[in-house]
Amino acid sequence: MSSSSSKKLENQNIPDNEYKTLPEGYGETEAVLLPRDPYWMYIYWEITENSVKNLISSIGIETYSSAKKVIRVYEISEKDEFLGFFDIPVIFEARNWYINVKECGKTYLCEIGIITPDGRFIGIVKTNKVSLPRAGVSDIIDEKWMIVNHEFEKLLEISGVDYIGKGSAEIAKSLAQRWEMLKSVFSRVSSFGISSFSSHEILKEKEKEKVKNFWLVADCEVVVYGATEPNATLIVGDRKINLNPDGTFALRYALGDGNIVIPIRAVSQDGTMKRGITFKISRETTKDE
Amino acid sequence: MNNEKGYLCLVLHAHLPYVRHPEYPDFLEEDWFFEAMCETYIPLLDIYERLTNEGVDFRITMSLTPPLCNMMSDPLLNERFKNYLYKRIELCEKEIFRTKNTPFYKTAQMYLSRFLRIREIYEDYYKGYIINGFKKFQELGKLEIITCCATHGFLPLQIRKEAVNAQIKIATDDYREKFGRSPRGIWLAECAYNPGDDHFLKDYGIRFFFLETHGILYGTPRPRYGVYAPVYCPSGVAAFARDMESAHQVWSAEMGYPGDYRYREFYRDVGYDLDYDYIKPYLHLDGVRRNVGIKYYKITGRVPLSEKQPYEPDEAKEIAAIHAGNFMFNRERQIEYLESFLGRKPVVVSMYDAELFGHWWFEGPWFLEYLFKKIHYDQKTIKMITPIEYLNIYPDNQVVQPIMSSWGDKGYNEVWLNGSNDWIYRHLHKATQRMIDLANKFYHTTDPLIIRTLKQCARELVLATSSDWPFLMTVGTAKTYSTRRFITHIQRFTKLWESIEAGKIDEAFLSDCEWKDNIFKNMDWKAFASFNLKK
Repeated sequence: MSSSSSKKLENQNIPDNEYKTLPEGYGETEAVLLPRDPYWMYIYWEITENSVKNLISSIGIETYSSAKKVIRVYEISEKDEFLGFFDIPVIFEARNWYINVKECGKTYLCEIGIITPDGRFIGIVKTNKVSLPRAGVSDIIDEKWMIVNHEFEKLLEISGVDYIGKGSAEIAKSLAQRWEMLKSVFSRVSSFGISSFSSHEILKEKEKEKVKNFWLVADCEVVVYGATEPNATLIVGDRKINLNPDGTFALRYALGDGNIVIPIRAVSQDGTMKRGITFKISRETTKDE
Repeated sequence: MNNEKGYLCLVLHAHLPYVRHPEYPDFLEEDWFFEAMCETYIPLLDIYERLTNEGVDFRITMSLTPPLCNMMSDPLLNERFKNYLYKRIELCEKEIFRTKNTPFYKTAQMYLSRFLRIREIYEDYYKGYIINGFKKFQELGKLEIITCCATHGFLPLQIRKEAVNAQIKIATDDYREKFGRSPRGIWLAECAYNPGDDHFLKDYGIRFFFLETHGILYGTPRPRYGVYAPVYCPSGVAAFARDMESAHQVWSAEMGYPGDYRYREFYRDVGYDLDYDYIKPYLHLDGVRRNVGIKYYKITGRVPLSEKQPYEPDEAKEIAAIHAGNFMFNRERQIEYLESFLGRKPVVVSMYDAELFGHWWFEGPWFLEYLFKKIHYDQKTIKMITPIEYLNIYPDNQVVQPIMSSWGDKGYNEVWLNGSNDWIYRHLHKATQRMIDLANKFYHTTDPLIIRTLKQCARELVLATSSDWPFLMTVGTAKTYSTRRFITHIQRFTKLWESIEAGKIDEAFLSDCEWKDNIFKNMDWKAFASFNLKK
């Protein structure tokens, strides 16, 4: 965790088996379809070895090997009739896929399967149904709530139809900025008060400026700081560093062009525990005239 | 009296993911909550208090999500919040001395009186339980508090309706516990709507919810009044959609208010600017420099952070008043025009993240306060309204089936379903299916240990369902934290599920999960049973 403290409270004896990764699959043959937007769906699936074995034992290994593996995408009606389909060639090991459809506002269902050399489709597993939204205004007009066409167009314009997509993108960006701020809080390591986020912004601005009779001098240094147990031994590079009484430390280095490596090692008082962090920093100075 | 030309419905969505780590003495991400308390939630209560005392008749609709309400009522987080607040007060007291005879003195005074006021509201008014503050203004008829999906779950990406039912049922239970009545409205997490989900809202007595603009505009049949009147879904639940013009006026990068150069600069913070030994007691235990929330500079312009000018609170306050006046003026013109165009009094729904006001935009609460006052005193064209008040005046609305939509980037589900986070759904859906099976199988159990385990299974599952985790994975911020949170909850769920299935419940492990993930003390695990769908 990006926790500020690595010290866990010592009031339990539960072995900490957390934060391992999750299983690849769950040992069941299944497939799920999800809606992304008017033209895209996402499918994930799991096909167990057993399912493949069963299939092979019924059609033979040769037929299976030479068969095409596909996602069959069915369009279905409100009454669950199949209206048509198309196939997307895949390999089963892909385990997920994004599916593009040509028409928005329709309902789909997928089936993972194979097409044998003689053109037979053999399905292995079907997904749930998914209805995709329409990407524009409805053609259906309400008799009780009639509105003439040109007035409706005007209404769409006032309602901000032009902002759809763009508008929400900008708003989502602002939302993201809320977190961006938090990120800058987490990730700023410079003590000079310039975050990677805002300095980037400033540089971009600088590029735009064309100023004459203007001068600039600049250099940069690096500050390494951190904390460990107050009674630990700390070695940075090949030098032993005296810790502050609370276990913190801070070092300032010159930073010329090229690469520097700063290995930091901490050894517990009794010598049994070690922790290390290494920084590799490179500097490349360029000047534009 | 009824000569207004239309209505303004202001909606603030207040939400934070449930972040609480008793297993650590000090936890960075808990600051999200503490900061929002000091910068947004308590300042809003302060405004409501002042407006009420001055006799200003205002209306606002706010979602307080169940995770937020659970954090606001959690003893451990309140204890830690108090500590955070006291430390800020201590620092502000020192700052008064440090800044004497500097251009920063006035700002230092502002911070001190601000934090003292926050302490007064938090401790003296509401005894450390600010939910009672929001409840008070709801009971006065000024504030309509609405609920949200139990853990801000993104409903269109659920494949089992039992999970949708559970998100709504658990949320309404929690609301009743906190506010002493049933919620009348809901904020669907991320405004994400899936046709048919409104039936679940109806089942729990919810009368309205909110949609992104195109949710209604692209609905069937064509909406006669666009987004300027609510529509009824086939279930009879009303949907209000967002007005883009007022959204843009605040948010947009070029013309939005928060970027004014006289407002406070977020990125110059004493956590970085002051001497390390001086500021260290106010940092986290690891001693790493981070923002502490005290900032003395204004945005100034497009200049490097080192060239920012001192912040002037009085000047910034004036600008907030001017912006409020501008916002009101634009709404008056907009509403006048809409009324003549539509032939009916329009309702303009302005929806924002609550944390925008105060946290992202420091002067935002002042802006709101001026806006409420100006609307009350300075004009007669518009009237502020809550959705329920509007529905009482206009019960006859068109029936429209809205489309699947959300307020995320591009307007659909992509923010929560893309290459950075699509891997989660395989696990989330599997856990959901297992939870439904458990709820069906043990529906009539009376075994206290099994019931405890089922409750905890449901807690782990709903925590994994938060839309915050895939959102953070998409925007790439706090990605490690969000990934770990998702994985942890799925793993805890799976281990508990296995223990029930094997008939060997590990009580020590169960207790540990209960201690760490304590959301929804009275969790109704039966909300996941398929039985609920047949109602």
